[in-house]
Amino acid sequence: MPAFLLKRLIQSIVLLVIVSIIGFTVLNLIPGGPMAQYALDPGMTEADKARLAEQLGLNRPLLVQYFDWAWRLLQGDWGTSFRDGNPVLAVIGRHIFATFLLMGSSTVIAIAIGTWIGIRGATHRYSLFDYAATVGAMVALSIPTFWFGLIGIYVFSLKLGWLPAGNMYTIGDASVLDYLHHLIMPSVVLALVHIAIWSRYMRTATLDAISQEFVKTARAKGVSERRVLMKHVVGNALLPMITLAGVQLPSILTGALVTETVFTWPGMGRLFLDSLGYSDYPVVMGLLMFSAILTIAGNLIADIVVAVVDPRIRLA
Amino acid sequence: MTTLAATQSPSRWWQSRVMRRFLSHRLALLGLLMISLLTLACVVGPYLLPYDSLYIDLRARFSPPLSGDHYLGTDPLGRDIAARLLMAGRISLLVGFFAMVLSILVGTLVGVIAGYRGGWISAVLMRTVDGFLSYPTIFLLLALAAALKPSPVMITVIIAVTSWMEVARIVEAEVRSLKEREFVLAGRMLGLGRSHIMFREILPNAMGPIIVAATLTVARAILLEAYISFLGFGIQPPLPSWGNMLNGAQQYLATAPWLAIIPGAAITIAVSSFNFIGDGLRDALDVRNDNI
Amino acid sequence: MTKQDKPNSSYTRRAALRMMAAGGAAGLIAPNLLGGPAFAQTPPETPTGRIVVGLSQEPTVFNPLMPHIEVDDGVNFSVFDALFRVNVDGVIVPNLATEVPSVENGGLSEDGLNWRIRLRDDVTWHDGTPFTAEDVKFTLELIVNPDFRAWRTTGHDLVRDITVVSPTELTWRMEEAFAPYMSFLTETFMVPKHILEAEADPNEAAFNQAPIGTGAFKWGQRLAGDRLELVANPDYFGEGPYIEQLVFKYIPDMTVLYAQFKSGDIDLVGQAYITPDNYAEAKNLPDRVVTPEPKGSVESIYLNQELPVFKEQAVREALYLAMDRPAIIDALYYGVPSPAETFMPPQSYYYNPDLPKQEFNLDRARQILDEAGWVPGADGIREKDGVRLSFKNSTTVGNHLREQTQQFLQQTFAEIGAEMTIENLPPAVMWGDFWGQSQFDSVMVGITYLVGGDPDVTYRFHTDAIAAKGGSGSNNAQYSNPEVDALLVEGSRTFDPEKRREIYFRIQEIIRHDLPFLPLFAYTNVYGHKAGIEGFEVNTNTRTESWHAAAWYWA
Repeated sequence: MPAFLLKRLIQSIVLLVIVSIIGFTVLNLIPGGPMAQYALDPGMTEADKARLAEQLGLNRPLLVQYFDWAWRLLQGDWGTSFRDGNPVLAVIGRHIFATFLLMGSSTVIAIAIGTWIGIRGATHRYSLFDYAATVGAMVALSIPTFWFGLIGIYVFSLKLGWLPAGNMYTIGDASVLDYLHHLIMPSVVLALVHIAIWSRYMRTATLDAISQEFVKTARAKGVSERRVLMKHVVGNALLPMITLAGVQLPSILTGALVTETVFTWPGMGRLFLDSLGYSDYPVVMGLLMFSAILTIAGNLIADIVVAVVDPRIRLA
Repeated sequence: MTTLAATQSPSRWWQSRVMRRFLSHRLALLGLLMISLLTLACVVGPYLLPYDSLYIDLRARFSPPLSGDHYLGTDPLGRDIAARLLMAGRISLLVGFFAMVLSILVGTLVGVIAGYRGGWISAVLMRTVDGFLSYPTIFLLLALAAALKPSPVMITVIIAVTSWMEVARIVEAEVRSLKEREFVLAGRMLGLGRSHIMFREILPNAMGPIIVAATLTVARAILLEAYISFLGFGIQPPLPSWGNMLNGAQQYLATAPWLAIIPGAAITIAVSSFNFIGDGLRDALDVRNDNI
Repeated sequence: MTKQDKPNSSYTRRAALRMMAAGGAAGLIAPNLLGGPAFAQTPPETPTGRIVVGLSQEPTVFNPLMPHIEVDDGVNFSVFDALFRVNVDGVIVPNLATEVPSVENGGLSEDGLNWRIRLRDDVTWHDGTPFTAEDVKFTLELIVNPDFRAWRTTGHDLVRDITVVSPTELTWRMEEAFAPYMSFLTETFMVPKHILEAEADPNEAAFNQAPIGTGAFKWGQRLAGDRLELVANPDYFGEGPYIEQLVFKYIPDMTVLYAQFKSGDIDLVGQAYITPDNYAEAKNLPDRVVTPEPKGSVESIYLNQELPVFKEQAVREALYLAMDRPAIIDALYYGVPSPAETFMPPQSYYYNPDLPKQEFNLDRARQILDEAGWVPGADGIREKDGVRLSFKNSTTVGNHLREQTQQFLQQTFAEIGAEMTIENLPPAVMWGDFWGQSQFDSVMVGITYLVGGDPDVTYRFHTDAIAAKGGSGSNNAQYSNPEVDALLVEGSRTFDPEKRREIYFRIQEIIRHDLPFLPLFAYTNVYGHKAGIEGFEVNTNTRTESWHAAAWYWA
């Protein structure tokens, strides 16, 4: 077990290095760079821009810049945003709440609805409900999130006037109710895809569990259908679901990018877009590393859970 | 998690059965039908419509659908949306198709080599796959799109760059399970070359999951094109694509909602159709269904 | 006892002219030097209420000397003060200084090289420390400190021998006469020496995230990605503030920005303003004041003069004739902006109104090309000496109105046998070397040519300002005309406004003839605020709507 963990850990670190190299390379492929935002500033000359680039260390060879960045990162220094001069971690930290609020609520919605649909689909296999859920899930996976958001805004904000078209709260209000009011549409939109995914996994997991011997045994022993389901099937099916959550959660973060854009939600997705637009390398790299760490950690935890639960499985 | 073809025997006896099963999959047939119709419309349609997709007529801007000859209305420059939708379909479907071809080629190559060779080669390749996968796709897409000139070819390549990893994983798992099988061992015994075994013996037997992955990759590629074009980094005007027709539609949501509704519906129909087909193929190729 | 500050209200019109001469200000007729309109209402005794300004970009740079963009200026003008301020009529008036230096008042030597600044004695920083000449010296020296990541250094790099004579007086010498410097000083905000001096690295100072100024508003709190709150400075030396709280709300989507103005969530639409397509609706909204006001930038098709096809005068003229500007302005921009023939903003004193007007005339365009020997090839695109009349046009991706204009121009250009292909780029790519090193064929761009209202455009049109050829300016069109070069040099050394006016009139004539860029229109911002807000004025000589929030109040 420790050997397996150690191996995974080393692989994760190697992975992070690869991620950072790819990220750094791609970012520096973007011509222009951070000085581009001052191109149209009246009175700001090319000489001014050259001086600033020099002061920011952007004229050093790429390799030097990379190692400088990596060395600082190892010491816990994520760098400073070119744009607003704040430490990258502080910048990211300020956008985390909005993203996690949105993701959290959408995950709750997705798990609740997805679990229900999945179990019901499995226990009522080949029913109209099951069929509709299957088709519905596939269509849901095919709808562009932003389009779903636009239609939502059109119907619920512009036509019906029930829900706000964007933002996290009303200025001057910002009560819990106000947050919830603003939260409804984006989190439902974001949840759609995950309801589809969860319900599919839940259905398969439940079916697998139903077909297992102990459930048949329990049934044979005369335990009521409902109790069998609740205790054994769901209990067993939830385990793989937890693993899945480990893998899925960090990727929900990126799913939020488009939703945040449509609903002008002040989260990390929008921070990424803004920073990319300004070529604010330290922030973009910070976000990339942050989400890579989340993803890798998610995978790692999922692997460990699987390994603990099922000792036969040894991952490569 | 694909062990789909793992228990299949190396011969192709299942093909007709697969066909039969696919044809009995109503949803998949519906998907196939819709895609065929859509493709036909995109190929032939522009010749039948009264307007060119690029013709600008400022006097007719923002005509709602079903006004005169503009069956689906006009855009902010007074261009016919029906004509643009079909021309855009050509672009979007082509981008989707070629992005799929590229991802399948790269993914299969990496997957077969990693799966068959194992050892450090596999470790390096699969860790690279993991590395790419640890990026949020959209991050990678946007960063690349910001770095490169957004031509259709470039967008296709960018989408492929962010899509091949899934294929590689599927193929690697498949090949790893196939390489210990009798027919492979037999091939080795006969002294066949490594590449012969990899690509002539193992690959054909891994085709099932690859085909499924291909269909789903087309669906995914069309969606990705829509995402980056919506954010303004994708296909550039005047060339229409379903995604860039939506770019800017939010601005006119209150006054001209059809600008948003129509292209989005086209994307949803096309992507669902490919997903239906993929699902049908997966069911048809999944031998576990034999027992049911 | 009013706090209104009128140290110069007794100035004669002649003195005003002199002031502008020294400052090179943009306006001439100034009925009221301070530009304060007669309010129907009177502001409240104590600051009351809150005004929320919606911005489509987020203010993030709060050290006013560091590189920043327009939206940051709104904060800077509210938290800080400069030595001078340029009012709505383009006249430079004192702010932290008690007078605008001129030859008459002895603040400026005849040759314009020696400056003397006299400061107010009643100014304190937000922390209570008195503001003195030492702060001014510190600020000007910090800007040219090689270790400091300063914003513009033009003008500042000419300043030598800054001497503090007394807490309210200092002098310096300029390396060479530079008339625009007075305008530059209206955007050079003073920072506190006693705070920044103690910092090891001014680039990373805590001050940069919680600035202390002398302005009408003090730093409140910032919720990054969302909003910034400033609170009234009750000890402000000047006019106002009349509101308790000034909030800058970041709303990254223009549609949502407008929607929130409509719904009343924001009180005043700031930077990026109301989009032209919403103007017709906005002006009829109840309880809202919506006014289109020209701003100092010109939208144009900017041509790279080194491209063989653009070296031909006939081509540039023909393309200009083939632009259906009325259709673009009326249909695509909903009639909001106004036609332009020059880089000079129409409200400027130096604006030449007698330039020939562009006409949309495809026949004339074809005729000019025919005469110049450009004959249509097999594909209908004209050619001459192996050069095809074909070029690329670029702008930033995602700008819908520009993209629409491009496609519309493409159609009329094609009708005279000119091929324009569209190649739009992401902002970072567009505004990098592609723009800076003139790697484009043509660009659709809106440019503000004047800095702080001064007519000097040497950095845009002088041959030595071509960065692609080793110059240090922003002459990205690579425009070069010896006559213009000579006039520009003369203009920047001339202090008399009437003489300067002649020079810049001539420059505009030549540039209108040479057409290094094809003007589309002069930008007009559609400002909007709630009807209850008084004291709001647009000042086109600054980059922000919040240049004087101190005067705002709720009626």
